[in-house]
Amino acid sequence: MQSLEGAILIDTIIDDILRSAEHVADETEVLAVKSESIGAELKKDKIAIGSKSKSSGIVIRVIKGGKIGVSCTDNLNTWKKCLDAACASATFADPLPWRGLPQPETIDQTPLAYDRRVQTDPTLVTNLIERLKTGSDAYPADITSGSASVMISEHALANTHDLLYTTIGSQIHVSLEMIASQSTGYESDTSWNLDRIEPEKTGEETAFFAHRGEGGKEIKTGTYDVILSPIAISQLLEAAVVPALSGKNVHTGRSLFAGKIGTAVAHEKISLVDEPLDPRGIANCTWDGEGMPVRTNTFIDEGILRSFAYDLRTAYRYGENPTASAVRNGQSGAPSIGTHNLILKGPDMDIFDEKSVFVHDLIGAHTANPMSGDFSVELSSPFFVNDGEFQEPIRAGMISGNIFDILHKIQGCSKKTRTLGSTIVPWVRLSDIAIIGRG
Amino acid sequence: MSGNYRYYDVRRVIGEITQIDVDNGRVEQAGSSFFDKAVVRVLSEKGWGVLSISGDQANFEKLPQELLNEAHAAAHITNIHIPIQETTSHIHPIPAMKENPIDVSLDEKVSILLDIDKSTISPHIVSHRVNYIEKDENVIFFDSLGHSYSYHLCRCGFSVLAVASRGGMVQMGYERDHTISGLNIRHRQDLAREAAERARKLLDAKPAKGGIMQAVLDPELAGVFAHEAVGHASEGDLVKEGNSILKGKINEQIGSPLLTIVDDPSLPQFGFCPVDDEGSETKRTEIIKDGILQSYLHSKETLASVGYGTAGHCRGMAGVEPIVRMSNTFIEKGDANYDEIISECKSGILLKGSRGGQVDPGRGMFQFNAEYGYLIENGECTTMVRDVSLSGEILQTLHMITLIGNDLELHPGYCGKSGQTVPVTDGSPHLLLEHAVVGGCDID
Repeated sequence: MQSLEGAILIDTIIDDILRSAEHVADETEVLAVKSESIGAELKKDKIAIGSKSKSSGIVIRVIKGGKIGVSCTDNLNTWKKCLDAACASATFADPLPWRGLPQPETIDQTPLAYDRRVQTDPTLVTNLIERLKTGSDAYPADITSGSASVMISEHALANTHDLLYTTIGSQIHVSLEMIASQSTGYESDTSWNLDRIEPEKTGEETAFFAHRGEGGKEIKTGTYDVILSPIAISQLLEAAVVPALSGKNVHTGRSLFAGKIGTAVAHEKISLVDEPLDPRGIANCTWDGEGMPVRTNTFIDEGILRSFAYDLRTAYRYGENPTASAVRNGQSGAPSIGTHNLILKGPDMDIFDEKSVFVHDLIGAHTANPMSGDFSVELSSPFFVNDGEFQEPIRAGMISGNIFDILHKIQGCSKKTRTLGSTIVPWVRLSDIAIIGRG
Repeated sequence: MSGNYRYYDVRRVIGEITQIDVDNGRVEQAGSSFFDKAVVRVLSEKGWGVLSISGDQANFEKLPQELLNEAHAAAHITNIHIPIQETTSHIHPIPAMKENPIDVSLDEKVSILLDIDKSTISPHIVSHRVNYIEKDENVIFFDSLGHSYSYHLCRCGFSVLAVASRGGMVQMGYERDHTISGLNIRHRQDLAREAAERARKLLDAKPAKGGIMQAVLDPELAGVFAHEAVGHASEGDLVKEGNSILKGKINEQIGSPLLTIVDDPSLPQFGFCPVDDEGSETKRTEIIKDGILQSYLHSKETLASVGYGTAGHCRGMAGVEPIVRMSNTFIEKGDANYDEIISECKSGILLKGSRGGQVDPGRGMFQFNAEYGYLIENGECTTMVRDVSLSGEILQTLHMITLIGNDLELHPGYCGKSGQTVPVTDGSPHLLLEHAVVGGCDID
């Protein structure tokens, strides 16, 4: 396995921290991360910025008498200060019936999202940029900005119980923004595997939306059959449905799904499942953010709400079973509840065949009401579609409704899916959706 | 150094973040974390090279030549000559804090926040949460032109969330306050009670009906309007890239003659920048004056290539290269009073509070969401409504402002762009908009 410069230093620091913490905490956990990346940024059609980044950091979590303390630092030399801060933090936390950090298990630690061909090599990013630009030539539109980057990151998680898991991952990312008159297009692609990144396609689709969006016609206020792209449906799911599946929100009165296990919360053909090892995932790993072996969690099974997501803290607090749903993405580096590869499954359908309004993206999806699910947001790159073809572009309009109701209004899903962060979603066809036009 | 460089600058930010999370009366987290990040920018003959590293690698007594070389080497893939404008470099004094948060123990802060959390407890409130964040930063900067500065700034603030539930309906009330003026959590139970009362009242609010109507925006939401509809589109990098509807419109009447919009990073508010993140002096920039587009917001690079405006608007997160950003953005006050605005609206909707917004500056479309609102019938506020938003086309909407209030208020918040989040303030008096496109969950 390739190893980043300084990985041995991290191993030593992890040992030092665990040893130092033996006398001050019941249990200790250390997450160490090291990454290197390079990138290129397009301004119009020229590369204006070349960048290189090297970062490392540690997150220390201590548990004493059921109280959890956490701290992080990006200067490895200051780990003692970080450990002191974690211990101080634990003194203020409310105790909970803690049942222990995970014991080591025999899990396959072969990296699942690492392409050894990915190196922080400038020629790799310039090649990605050229491929983006080649794809963008498919339609007449101007590049406003774009980027390509590659990153290699290494994670090591260790705890008091001699658990030590390590992994290395690669990530390739491209994005492009284009404009034709006042019509804009934006697309991006992310993968860990060089064979799966498709810059030409990203470029072509960006140019398509910019070019074909010109001269949009008004839409009348009314209800329509609507096709939401994976970008649009994943934004809505993440605004309200994903938070409602968090065990913490369920137990603290912040989830509309609380008390609804076993009841219908979606169309009878719709399922929502977290499959951490689905091969379409972009950052798969056999262990979660706390070292629990990952597992499939079925949240909604054919319309029926079956389960919620838990990390260790929330599961122990409320007497539930952990679901290996811990992720690390907050400012403090502490584990929090999330999903790995949340997959929306529904009945296969040729969703473009019938007349409908296609919505590629949404402006302001994050402004939806996360509790009630109500939303009203502006359409981005909307088109009338019929007979499997894009017809006229739509100039402007707002789509409104309730995200939880949308789960009942899904008529069908495309076979094809896209992976967007931690969601894997198809194009979906919805019935009876309100659109407010300006015509 | 290998090859030639035309300019370099180095910015290191060393800091501590303290976070406290009180969730339903339980302290879930209370503690500090540490960061030390540096970014080295080198402008080569063709393009920028940017190196992001841990701050402890950037020895500021003697910047290691190899770091400059590494940043310069990153520019080898660039292929466009970038002119930059020389600017005045000056640092404004940091306003004194009434009570430095660092001087108050974590123990005491936790105790104050527990009291705030308790104030949300009332009928129908099923969940309540108080979050505190304090970011204490030491910033050190120097460049190849001989400018250097260092300063210490502490930003802190808190938010209160209250969730009300009744008969299967769930609604939330949210209040927040962030500042550079020192610890702001003492005696703030009023904000917690307001959040709880709003959540409760929203249980009885009607869903808003979407359509085209007259709309009154409260100062908080009108501030977000200024930020989303005008501020982003006036950012020099977007103008330079051809991704702004405001490109080529300098000296054109793009809005109501009542309208003046300003971005002022030198104002000692939450978006305060004593000096910008590439060493330029910060000062008030009038983006729109009396409805006429006057200026764009600039960095050294965008000022050189686009013109029309001032530099001093370039900001970056710790360890990341700075880009053109807003800071304290507001609509100047007019002369109408609140009662006149509501009365003049006659029939429409009053939109209050903000759940944020977004803009597509190239297309000229924006959207933002109010926390709640009231119907205006016969010139009076009547029924409370929920989940109401507003979207529009920048160039049309700015002409639709028919009254501007005399009650300017500023509200702190955060703004995201290109993966970077920076503290900002948005502000405005009450505004009356004609023919506004209002979104709600009901339509006729």
